[in-house]
Amino acid sequence: MVADPRRCEPSIRVQEAPFDAGAEQRALLAGRTDIGAVVCFTGLVRDFNECPEVTALTLEHYPGMTESALAHIVTEAEGRWALDGVRVIHRIGRLAPGDPIVLVAVASAHRRAAFEACDFIMDYLKTRAPFWKKEHASEGDYWVSERHSDHEDASRWKA
Amino acid sequence: MSLTHLNVRGEAHMVDVADKPESRREARASGRITMRPETLALLAEGGLPKGDVLATARIAGIQAAKRTHELIPLCHALALSKVAIDFTLDEVESCVEVTATCRLNGRTGVEMEALTAVSVACLTLYDMCKAVDKDMVIDAIRLDAKTGGKSGDYRRGEGVGGGEAAGETVVTGAEGLIVTGQGRGGQVAVGSRCDIASPCVRVKCLAELRERLGVGELSVPLADLSRPDVGGLKAALKALDPRFAGLDEGRVMCAVNQVMAGDRTPITDDDEVAFFPPVTGG
Repeated sequence: MVADPRRCEPSIRVQEAPFDAGAEQRALLAGRTDIGAVVCFTGLVRDFNECPEVTALTLEHYPGMTESALAHIVTEAEGRWALDGVRVIHRIGRLAPGDPIVLVAVASAHRRAAFEACDFIMDYLKTRAPFWKKEHASEGDYWVSERHSDHEDASRWKA
Repeated sequence: MSLTHLNVRGEAHMVDVADKPESRREARASGRITMRPETLALLAEGGLPKGDVLATARIAGIQAAKRTHELIPLCHALALSKVAIDFTLDEVESCVEVTATCRLNGRTGVEMEALTAVSVACLTLYDMCKAVDKDMVIDAIRLDAKTGGKSGDYRRGEGVGGGEAAGETVVTGAEGLIVTGQGRGGQVAVGSRCDIASPCVRVKCLAELRERLGVGELSVPLADLSRPDVGGLKAALKALDPRFAGLDEGRVMCAVNQVMAGDRTPITDDDEVAFFPPVTGG
């Protein structure tokens, strides 16, 4: 690598298994004393969304393209902020309310970069990474619609 | 003509490609490794101590293409949509000819990736065979053809010139390998050939669109497309089955070889074209 050897490769995972946000954050920071801030966002399955009583959620993705879309988003964040490590995990398959669904952990020397880059990665993940949610509710199953507010959030980052 | 990697002060710099338009880029490079006839015979029958030589060299070439930016200082990191490596055993010349084809929809050419793939595949062949033959010679590494981009199409022996339709110049490798981008640990997904003998396009419908249309995957002969692009494919699908009228209902996105595409994106043999609804992850 031509980059600083201390710099960690971004870790991007799409998996069915649950993740441990604490363990992921510790792994991101392991052996490092130059990191001054880490922001670790976890998204959870809500029991209300388009219907009031969501009993489960099924996540579909596009193997290959999903991983490369996430890698592109992380690369773009690394181009905008000075980051020392990024970890993105997104779960797929059937999940229940309360289950963790997505993790974005960002480490940097300073807090502003870590906060902003984490926010940016989530906004872009929600509007650009090929994942689709199907909600299971007492009224039946339905595919979740895209939200205008997600696109407005993502457009904040356009310079 | 000037060297784009030098700035006005003559210093090396990386070319800013942010404002260049995206286009379909393809490049094919080749090279060869000459060896003793006995070595070539061992290679052909799988009798070399390190095992399956060609399979190893193929993966080495694919991995090298994806990591070109780490080796060549001013190359951009690219999300290649396709890397295919092919070997031809030439008993008359007692050599292995290596060809690499790289493709992406993007803003920079992929000739360095194709040349790197050939170089590393040749080096791997050397490594795999050196126990029995140290006299092997690697040579004739060169760009054979490239299409797309501002500098125009190129074909060895013809010089720079346009007019060649994308896809005609670069022949899809017999293996039809599709590299699905820079996934975790450089994963490589190997796409299967169409189930039809003639040149064809593999179509996928994902998520809500798959359930709405009732179609998951199908192959469409390339000859059915009035135009070799996504718009032409949509028209062919609608002619094939009225359910595909649903491609025009609501927002439907499209990716060619896992890179976001539009109606004008060109399609060639063995491409994977996916249609899907707006994304809702996170």
